Amino acid sequence: MEKEIEKMTFEEALAKLEGIVKELEDENIPLEDSIKKFELGVKLSSYCLSKLNEAEKKIEELTKTENGSLVTRELKLED
Amino acid sequence: MSNILAKENGMHIYSVSELNLDIKRNLESGFSDVWVEGEVSNYYCHNNRHFYFDLKDEYSKIKVVMFYEANKNLVFQIENGLHLIISGYLSLYEKRGEYQLIATSIRPVGRGELILAYEQLKEKLEAKGYFAAEFKKKIPALPKMIGVVTSTGGAVLKDIITVLSRRFNNFHLIVSNVNVGGISSQEEVCQAIDDLCSYGVDVIIVARGGGSLEDMWAFNTEIVAKKVFQCRIPVISAIGHETDFTICDFVADCRAATPSVAAQIVIIDKNEAMENIMHMAESLKSYAENKLSASRKELKFLIERRIFRKPGTMLLDLWQEVENLKKSLFEKASSNFRSKHQNIGSILLLLNVKQITDKMSLKKSFVKNLLLTMVSEINKNFSGLKNKTGLLIKDLQANSPVSVLEKGYAIILKKDTATAVRHIADIEIGQEADIVLKDGILLTKVLNKISKKLGAEV
Repeated sequence: MEKEIEKMTFEEALAKLEGIVKELEDENIPLEDSIKKFELGVKLSSYCLSKLNEAEKKIEELTKTENGSLVTRELKLED
Repeated sequence: MSNILAKENGMHIYSVSELNLDIKRNLESGFSDVWVEGEVSNYYCHNNRHFYFDLKDEYSKIKVVMFYEANKNLVFQIENGLHLIISGYLSLYEKRGEYQLIATSIRPVGRGELILAYEQLKEKLEAKGYFAAEFKKKIPALPKMIGVVTSTGGAVLKDIITVLSRRFNNFHLIVSNVNVGGISSQEEVCQAIDDLCSYGVDVIIVARGGGSLEDMWAFNTEIVAKKVFQCRIPVISAIGHETDFTICDFVADCRAATPSVAAQIVIIDKNEAMENIMHMAESLKSYAENKLSASRKELKFLIERRIFRKPGTMLLDLWQEVENLKKSLFEKASSNFRSKHQNIGSILLLLNVKQITDKMSLKKSFVKNLLLTMVSEINKNFSGLKNKTGLLIKDLQANSPVSVLEKGYAIILKKDTATAVRHIADIEIGQEADIVLKDGILLTKVLNKISKKLGAEV
């Protein structure tokens, strides 16, 4: 299960989390299931939060070198 | 007039070629710069290069040729029925002796050529399915790298960065700088889209600010439309102002009214997303807590049942029943013996007694096994209690008084003490009792008691 979460995109994890919250709303769900779902939900929510902070702020310009390969360099904009 | 006569009169006799050549010269010098207006018919394009058609009005028509050199930069398509103004010169096709108008430039009547070209391309691509919803790719909620095709010099990029900074502080933007004005920029735009795809961005915004139709022309060309359509990465088109619709807007996976709007579409609002996730995590916690406390209540109720609270007294009761059974067996045996077999000898007596005791010990071991099974069941239930709450809940559901009632059994409660009546000795004649059924309570009074033991028969 752990590995599957790591493979999910942010949207997939978020959708799964929303699904679990809905399922837990149902009072007839057996205790054991609800605990499993709770644990999965907690993992998913922390995974989603970590995804939000994964990237680092960068503004770059894409250019081509003489041999045609693509490189980026930091883009500074004048105010 | 015969040839001889003509020659005699000093008149020149042309060959056909000569005459046509002469006419051609006269036509070309006499009609070297003409403008003519009319409607296209019999349009034909030879080898994808030269255009041939007739231009006509109500009464008359003229042949028109537009050679590749003149038509290669034409933005719109010639089609039958089109109302045109043509400028050019007259010439003669000597081989056929047909005169024709050689068009050097053409423009449509009633609307601009760019508008016409736009409408023609829109119609063509729409028919090809380029705008169909089924080909629209989903814009990812959280792209790792956002590609932008625009000019790094303009306000457009600044607008995009401002909005992105507000929504998602740690965005990663890759800009491909292109000239976004004029017809020449179409190749640059296509190359930029290819480069961003190769570099591995997750989504591409194609953006430029407002301007005239000419300024935005690159985004109305077929090559840009095809590039956007074939791009394997989702493309957001943000060209011009809200009221400007380009072909690129129609083909793109998503059209943003302005570049700022594109920046809103391209990534989620981080604070909103975090709040949403935290809120869901809170809900998870409260659901789980509620579930646990409800289960705890059910468990407590179960534990308080007599079989769990005082398993010993239950066993004693059962032993008591065994003893009673034994006693009645003896009594029955000896009374039988006394009344019917008084004259039979002691051997027979011993035999009978042995039979009875055999029966008795059989019954005893049966009851014993029953007890052992019960004790082990109870033990199992207890270890289950400790470890598997879930199982207990199932037991509880199966054994709860409510489900007993559901099955049609009743519980009798003494009116004064509200304790359960399990034996006839628990209640006296004349006392009141409540019979609890699944759908209500009967208020009753004990009229009589008749003792009857289940399974007491030998």
